[in-house]
Amino acid sequence: MIEALQQTGFQSVRVCNFFNSFSGTTKEKVARKYGVQGANFMAYKAA
Amino acid sequence: MSVVCPITLDREKLRSEVLSIYAKVADNPQGEFHFHRGLEYAARLLGYDAAELDELPTAATASFAGVGNPFLMDLLPAGATVVDIGSGAGMDCLLAARRIGRSGSVVGIDMTDAMLARARDSAADADYGQIRFEKADMTALPLATESVDVVISNGVINLAPDKAALFTELYRVVKPGGRLQFADIVVGRELSEDARNDIDLWTG
Repeated sequence: MIEALQQTGFQSVRVCNFFNSFSGTTKEKVARKYGVQGANFMAYKAA
Repeated sequence: MSVVCPITLDREKLRSEVLSIYAKVADNPQGEFHFHRGLEYAARLLGYDAAELDELPTAATASFAGVGNPFLMDLLPAGATVVDIGSGAGMDCLLAARRIGRSGSVVGIDMTDAMLARARDSAADADYGQIRFEKADMTALPLATESVDVVISNGVINLAPDKAALFTELYRVVKPGGRLQFADIVVGRELSEDARNDIDLWTG
């Protein structure tokens, strides 16, 4: 995701927060196996 | 790590599956799904303010199915033009409208008719005239070039099989100095080819 954003031209791309979005769902085991979680992203277009 | 769509994935089937699942979430958010929905989830796992969500129409909060919280990162400026990619039942659009005030505008983009209907009803119920909802593909936005201050999204960008096309379109509509602040899923390990071709995983 970060690389794709940078390749498009966005700058200062970063991941800010992580979330256990799949905790308690039927996909929790698969999410844990592959390290799938929610995350917040920021990216800027140069002024 | 982002998920790169394998060439063999049936993109039309993926699109059809996404439409079907989110129509069901709109019509019956209490149904059985393999992801969380609703106000209690948003407050408990994602850091939304439960008291603020309580003030919103239930139709908007019940079908919420985001994976993070784009409002935790930076304030939305008063008067800003904000676009929500995959606005669903409209919960994040309503929250954005509260932050930018009456002088700003929020455009919710979604491709699910049932979600759009729910979102429009919620915006009308809450008397947020600065919000409008548009049915569109997120890679072909009905928005002018360099017209948007902030793009938000919550759990939808991962559903785009062609991330490069999506980000190119977002780059087009964002003003110079504007930004993306969105939530989505990340994958910590390399996925097997089978996993990357599993539409059930994509739509989770």
